[in-house]
Formats: sequence, C-alpha cells, structure tokens
Amino acid sequence: MAENGESSGPPRPSRGPAAAQGPASAPAEPKIIKVTVKTPKEKEEFAVPENSSVQQFKEAISKRFKSQTDQLVLIFAGKILKDQDTLIQHGIHDGLTVHLVIKSQNRPQGQSTQPSNAAGTNTTSASTPRSNSTSISTNSNPFGLGSLGGLAGLSSLGLSSTNFSELQNQMQQQLLSSPEMMIQIMENPFVQSMLSNPDLMRQLIMANPQMQQLIQRNPEISHLLNNPDIMRQTLEIARNPAMMQEMMRNQDLALSNLESIPGGYNALRRMYTDIQEPMLNAAQEQFGGNPFASVGSSSSSGEGTQPSRTENRDPLPNPWAPPPATQSSATTSTTTSSGSGSGSSSNSATGNTVAAANYVASIFSTPGMQSLLQQITENPQLIQNMLSAPYMRSMMQSLSQNPDLAAQMMLNSPVFTANPQLQEQMRPQLPAFLQQMQNPDTLSAMSNPRAMQALMQIQQGLQTLATEAPGLIPSFTPGVGVGVLGTAIGPVGPVTPIGPIGPIVPFTPIGPIGPIGPTGPAGPGSTGSGGPPGPTVSSSTPNETTSPTSESGPNQQFIQQMVQALAGANPPQLPNPEVRFQQQLEQLNAMGFLNREANLQALIATGGDINAAIERLLGSQPS
Amino acid sequence: MEPPNLYPVKLYVYDLSKGLARRLSPIMLGEGAGGGREGAGTAGRGKQLEGIWHTSIVVHKDEFFFGSGGISSCPPGGTLLGPPDSVVDVGSTEVTEELFLEYLSSLGESLFRSEAYNLFEHNCNTFTNEVAQFLTGRKIPSYITDLPSEILSTPFGQALRPLLDSIQIQPPGGSPVGRPNGQS
Repeated sequence: MAENGESSGPPRPSRGPAAAQGPASAPAEPKIIKVTVKTPKEKEEFAVPENSSVQQFKEAISKRFKSQTDQLVLIFAGKILKDQDTLIQHGIHDGLTVHLVIKSQNRPQGQSTQPSNAAGTNTTSASTPRSNSTSISTNSNPFGLGSLGGLAGLSSLGLSSTNFSELQNQMQQQLLSSPEMMIQIMENPFVQSMLSNPDLMRQLIMANPQMQQLIQRNPEISHLLNNPDIMRQTLEIARNPAMMQEMMRNQDLALSNLESIPGGYNALRRMYTDIQEPMLNAAQEQFGGNPFASVGSSSSSGEGTQPSRTENRDPLPNPWAPPPATQSSATTSTTTSSGSGSGSSSNSATGNTVAAANYVASIFSTPGMQSLLQQITENPQLIQNMLSAPYMRSMMQSLSQNPDLAAQMMLNSPVFTANPQLQEQMRPQLPAFLQQMQNPDTLSAMSNPRAMQALMQIQQGLQTLATEAPGLIPSFTPGVGVGVLGTAIGPVGPVTPIGPIGPIVPFTPIGPIGPIGPTGPAGPGSTGSGGPPGPTVSSSTPNETTSPTSESGPNQQFIQQMVQALAGANPPQLPNPEVRFQQQLEQLNAMGFLNREANLQALIATGGDINAAIERLLGSQPS
Repeated sequence: MEPPNLYPVKLYVYDLSKGLARRLSPIMLGEGAGGGREGAGTAGRGKQLEGIWHTSIVVHKDEFFFGSGGISSCPPGGTLLGPPDSVVDVGSTEVTEELFLEYLSSLGESLFRSEAYNLFEHNCNTFTNEVAQFLTGRKIPSYITDLPSEILSTPFGQALRPLLDSIQIQPPGGSPVGRPNGQS
C-alpha cells in the first residue's frame, strides 16, 4: 500500500493552509507529481503539477471517476482538502496517496454513481423481495408462513451476526427474492431434515409470538398444528417453491370461483377476515404490513357488490399436476378445524366456510374436470408426474394412515351434510380406498391414457344407460354418485387428485362390475368400481350434488361387498394402528373412553396425540 | 474562515487471549525467529507474543471494527470484550461523521465485506489500519499488524494454519454499518 501518512508526520493543527506544511520547495516550473487517489473501491494514479490547487486536482479526478467535482471529498492526513488549497499546502508529494470519498447527489442515497451501483442493487433487491415475499407468504396454507419464517430463521442461525433480528430480516428478504437461493436452501439436506420433522416445525411456528396470539384466538389452528400429517404435507409442499407458487395460483383461481356463488362471496370474506387476515398480518409484519389489508377493507365496504362475472371457466393450466392442494389446504384447514372442533356443530363461521369452500369443489368439478379429463387422456405424463411427485406420495401415505382425516374432508361436503347416513356408510370404506391408492398397480394403470379413455367411455355409457334405462341400474340415484364424486373429485383435501383416479383404476380389474358404475363411487371412490363414471357423471350433473339420496339397502350392501373384496385384494400396507396406539388406547380406556373404535379413529386422526384425540372424542360424543 | 472541526481518533486494542498469549506463547510457539519481543523473562526458547490483538477505531464517539459479520459499530467499549486493554492515540481528523459513515459503507461493500474476513490476511487489524490512514494518514502500530506473520513464522502457526484460517472473530455487541439511511 502506498504510503500516505508517514511523510506528513504528526498531524498539523487544524489550520490546513498556512505556514510550512511540507518542504517549501516551490520550484519555478511546476513539477509533475504522481499522486494516487484511493477510494474505498478503487485506486487510480494521477499525474498533476505540483503546485496545482485542489480544485484543479478534483477536476482531473472527476473525469476519471465520472463524478462531479462537488461530489468529491479529498482527504489527506486526516484533513479534508478544500478547493482553494493547494497540494503543496497539505504536503502532498510524489508518490503519496490521497483518500477520496464520492458523495452522491441526494444525500440519503449515501453513495454516488459507482458505489451506487452496488447500493442500487442492494436496495432494489431489498425492495423487490417485499413484493415477492408478500406474494410467496400469502400462502393459503397457514404453515407456509411459519415454515418460511422458520426457514429464514434457520438460515440466519448459521451466521454469527451481532444483530440477529436485522440479519434475519435481511436473510428473509434476500431469500425470498431469489428463487435460486430458495431452491438451494431447500435442497440443503440439513434444511430438509429439519423440515421433515413436524415436531420441530411446530415448535418453530409456535415460537412466533404472533402465531401464538393467533392460535389463542383461533384454537382450530392449534389443532392443525398438532396434526402431524398435515404438518408433513405442508412441509413437503413448502419444500418445493415452484409448487407453492402453483398452489397459490390455484388458490386464487378457486377463490375467484368462489366469489361467483351467491352467498359465497360473503363466506369468502368471512373466511378471510376470520382466519387469513390475522395470520397474514401476523406473519407479514416483518415484510411491511399486510398488502391485502386495504383490499379487505375496501371489499367489506362494497359488500353488496358481488363480482358479476360468472364462474371462471378457464381451466387452470395444469390443475392437477401441482395438486390443487391450495383449495384442499384451504378446505383442509377449514375442514379439519371444523372436524376437530366438534363434528358438524362447529361455529357457524367455519361451518359456512366449509360449505362455501366445498362449493368450490363442485363448481371446480365442472370446468376443471372437463379440462382435467382432457388432459389426462392427452397427457399420460401428467398423471405420472403428478403421482410421482414426492408430496403426492406423502399425502397419500398420510391419508392412508389417517383415514379419519380423509373421511372428514371428503364427507364434509354439502352432499353429505344433507345425508349423514351416507357419511357413515362411506366412512369405513375410506381406508380401503386409500390403501388402493397405494397400490403401485393402481398408479401405473392410472398413467395409462388408453385405460383412462376406456374407463371414460364406459362411464359415459353408464351414464347414458342410467338416463335411458334407469330400471336396469337398480336405483342408483345419480345424486349419490354425483354427490360422492362431486366431493371425491372436488378438491377436498388431498383426496382431490385421488378421487376420480382412484375409482378409475381399480375399475380396470373389475370389468364386470361396470354396471355398478354410477354408484360405485358411492363407495367413496374407494372401490373405484364406478371410477370413470364418476367424473363425467359429476360433471354432467353438478347441480345434483345435493339431490336426496335414497340408496336402497341392498345396493349399499353390494357396494360394500365390492369394496371389501377390493380392499382384501390389497394387503394392508400399514402397521396396524391398533398396535401403534396400544398405549394410547389403554390410556383412553382408563380415562373412561370405552368406545374402542372411536378411540382408535380419534387416535389415528390425531396421529397418536392423546389430548387431541380426547378432544375429538368429546366433540363427537354429543352428536 | 472557521477552523474545521478536529475529531480525535483513537485505537482501542484488545488482547483476545486476556494475557494467556503472553504466558503461554513462549512454550507453545516453539522456536521463534527473533526471540522474545521484550526479551525479559523469556524462559522458553519460543517466541514471545504479547497478545492476540483485536483492534477497533473509535471516532465520533463510536467504535468501529471489522469481523466476520462485516463492519460493525457500537458504543466505545461496548462489545463483549469490554474495555480495551490499551488505547492508542492515532491523531485527529477533519472527516465528519457523515462522510466517515459514507466511507465505511463504501468500504463495507468493496474491500471489507463480511465474507472477506480472514483471520490472517484480512482481519480486524487490516481494517483498522486502513481506516486510520484514511482518517489521519497514520498507520497503527506495527506490532499489531505484524501479528499474523509472526504466528505463521512458527511451526505451530504453520501446523495449525488450516484450523486457524477458519476461525472467524466477531465480537458480539455491535451492529452492522450499512447504508446511511438504514438497513436494506
């Protein structure tokens, strides 16, 4: 480093100019001296006459550094060089270094042209994450917020920062602004292992004081958190940032569909204000406030004005490739909340929310299903991709381990609120259905476009048959099939993608069972015996979702037999829940819950959490 | 014309080893090239280090230092290290606080980013030296800046170099020096 201060010796008193600063040799002809100018970022050498003034020096500098002279501040030996001084006055000789700071025009910016490039990128990258982070963090899935916050917290844990919160903010913003960084972090095995630990994630989420407040206000959320399966699903989904964005897109579309339902708009708004807004507020305080706050308030003022457009018929680009789990998660959260609350007697808000959210199912089933079926037949890759996505597997696994949850989700549709009987009948069939889904044969058959096409043809045939010759198909009310399928297909929770496909595939081996088609799905698609009839039937008769069902006993029994036969074909792949929860069952017994079946179901639904199971049991008993 | 204000510039010197280096260095460092610094009481054959020096610049009633977290500032003596073991008067500067902070921000983006920290080559003392020259034109005492080379000239230093290289020192208690208008 060039010497700069040594030769100037002890700093002179404040009077910069004045008497002999340096050697007073002022030669007649100006000697050219080389002075190095050093900025924080670079260093340049200047050849100037010895007796030049600082002003002239600055002019030469400004050309090289592309700034204006009044932006330049020269410092030598601790003194700020004023324009009217000369270099000699300050003792600036050949070979010495002068420091330079370039000020920017608008002071708050801090730096000027050259340094401001870096500054500009910093500020822009800091501001854009705001929009990105808000969009990313407005995940319908409440845990999206938590996991993001947790993630950013995690990443900042590794840094030894003196100011933790500031660094965390920065990290979050940088993280969210850069999808590549997000991906890198997601791929970090340590992060993944952290994410796969639902307990840990739960703790992280609970640790956020705002979340705690939220949980106090909405106890359903705590149940959500306590459900390890949901947590696992969430984490799987959160792991894939592209998935999250797709989910959000889907959610937006679903919500827009929801708006067009009479009464749906209000329900939507209620749903938002009750649940989402406080969460958004809570989680987004860091990011600069809830961007939707104003939206919400303005919409509340315009309560009467419903969006006049009809339901959105544009199919999602790929409604099933990323599972429309957004709607499912929305319904999951609401459904589980209602489920964990107390059966159907949960508070009206959530009840309405469930109903409203599930309307999405049936509505979505119309345009979405059409496009979906189209895509299914056209693109076998679609199904394969969808099925092979890791989260799909985990979803299915968790569902199969948690049949009660799946039952709740599927059965809470408007169809079954009208018919609790059907609910009960469908409930036991769910596990079989879910096990079916795990069967790899099922999966491979599902990806066979020709098989799907064949199934669809059969279904159409059955439908025609049903209308033309209803006597042939013993009292299979379309409503039942539709209702079931409406829900099975509708994005009710993670069952969504499973719905029509499940039924479809198992249908293949059950050729002769064809005629049972429309009702097949009554066994909640589990038997799949009516699989293909399902989608088109539902799509053709979406309005009959709530048609009264009066299935005759024998039909139902027949279906049950079919279901069991199919279920029997697939050996259960899970450890017996009874064994798993042996200890918990004993505890529940000791507490006085004598209904072993109910206990078991409750335990399965809550993943072995005794407290949550007790709440479920208590909630379901009065009904 | 009014005299420009002069602000005193001080160098706070901390011994990170809290005296251990002075005691143990002769034994641990093995043969030294030049023997003990002070010479007195060098029982062992080894080199004598008086301390493991961490420095910071105090100006405008703030302490500035460089660590693995980048350039940080705190009230003087406000890091976990507590009060300095010694204070060296570097001189006075006319540089105003505003100008100085701009300069620091610029430094923090170019030469002294947090990831640029290296215990041997580019550490807190490097920063202090740079800043001292900017503010006053003087360097910091050489026994501080020579420390890494002293250590590396011993077999101990050479052997442990990979380990030592990965050490990053960041005294807690400071806050990062960022843009003058606040953080990102």
